[in-house]
Amino acid sequence: MKHISPNQVAADTPARAPTRRALAKQQTRLKVLAAARRLFSEQGYEGATIRDIAAAAGMSTGAVFANFTDKSDLFREIMVDDMEALNAAMRDAAVRGRGVEDALLKVFMAGYTFYKSRLQLARAAFSVSWDKDGGPSLRGLPASLALEDLFTELLSDAVTRGELSQEAEVKLRSRMLFDTYLSNFPQAIFDGWSLDALQARARDQIRILLAGARRG
Amino acid sequence: MNADVDTASRPPASRQSQKEATRLRVLNAARELFDTHGYQGTTIREIARHAGVAVGSVFTTFASKGEILSEVMQARLDPLYAELDRVMPHLRGSTADRLRTMFAIHFEFEARHVRLFLSHIAAAYDWTLPPGAKPYGHTPRLQEIIRETLQKGIEQGEVRADCDLQEIVDLLMAAYAWTYRLVITREAGTQAMIDAMDRQIGLVAEGFAPRG
Repeated sequence: MKHISPNQVAADTPARAPTRRALAKQQTRLKVLAAARRLFSEQGYEGATIRDIAAAAGMSTGAVFANFTDKSDLFREIMVDDMEALNAAMRDAAVRGRGVEDALLKVFMAGYTFYKSRLQLARAAFSVSWDKDGGPSLRGLPASLALEDLFTELLSDAVTRGELSQEAEVKLRSRMLFDTYLSNFPQAIFDGWSLDALQARARDQIRILLAGARRG
Repeated sequence: MNADVDTASRPPASRQSQKEATRLRVLNAARELFDTHGYQGTTIREIARHAGVAVGSVFTTFASKGEILSEVMQARLDPLYAELDRVMPHLRGSTADRLRTMFAIHFEFEARHVRLFLSHIAAAYDWTLPPGAKPYGHTPRLQEIIRETLQKGIEQGEVRADCDLQEIVDLLMAAYAWTYRLVITREAGTQAMIDAMDRQIGLVAEGFAPRG
């Protein structure tokens, strides 16, 4: 029964220029993603349904499912887009820091500034990250791990430069710094903390967490 | 929460006690479901079915599932804090060690129902959360215990007097909550969480120690 259908042959040949059909498909994806982003922000992960997202994008649920396996797939894709952009912003900020403490503070602030306009989406992400099913796949995303790695890199570099001691426990310390960065989001989301307030708080936190790693 | 003794024998009391029985059934069912299916995976409809009561009667007592979980946790945590109030004054050792013991008691207490605690944290981000709900981070008792321990540390010269105590409290609260992440990412057990927390407390302690 083994035979190759013409369709399969077509799919296997490398694409030259994007066909009109591929472009249309890409447009559909972008429309769905934009609608999903808005609904996740307005109603949370749980509250937003595929049906609502399809309606908001002006298409059928079937068209949504043709592009994404399910709601979690859709949400993950949005998160990956954001985390990649955030990663770039944080790395830019880190380069401008004078010394490890300042670099960390700039990284924290790049994150809070990035999410300032999308706090409700961040809220949905936190809710998913603590879920027993959705949590592992969101936390394990390469884009998410890359954010954690940035903190480790900053501390390792500071040890290499001699700014922090060799016994700085880089892994534990960078993990705690990352957790602390995340732990300030509830203040921003629920208590409306300004970027200035977050910065003052973050500066103290970073100082406390680095204290034991200072040389001398 | 306590039955009013004075009215217990009067006719409306039976309706009252029936209502109380329903409440307890709902809370018990909810505790089991949150512990197995997590916060997102549990619906009020399932809680009602599991408790053997009508969905409508759940809603006459509770406004949302966030409120149900909030009550489940409240009922669980009251005895824990009573226990800590008894234990804390007798703890010896450094400020860091007293904090370690206090958090170890927490991890051991939550160990058997660790998914319930994850639900408790997840609920803090719920869209339908009513103003009265008390998800993680809104339970002041834990913060008070940490602050008292640090205060004692200042008196003993182990904690810098010019420390912003609330900042240290928040750092420890965050470390405590985020340590539960290990359950999600690595299926960590109780001892692994206690070890991770011990090291984090050591690191924060370096930050609040008087400058030598």
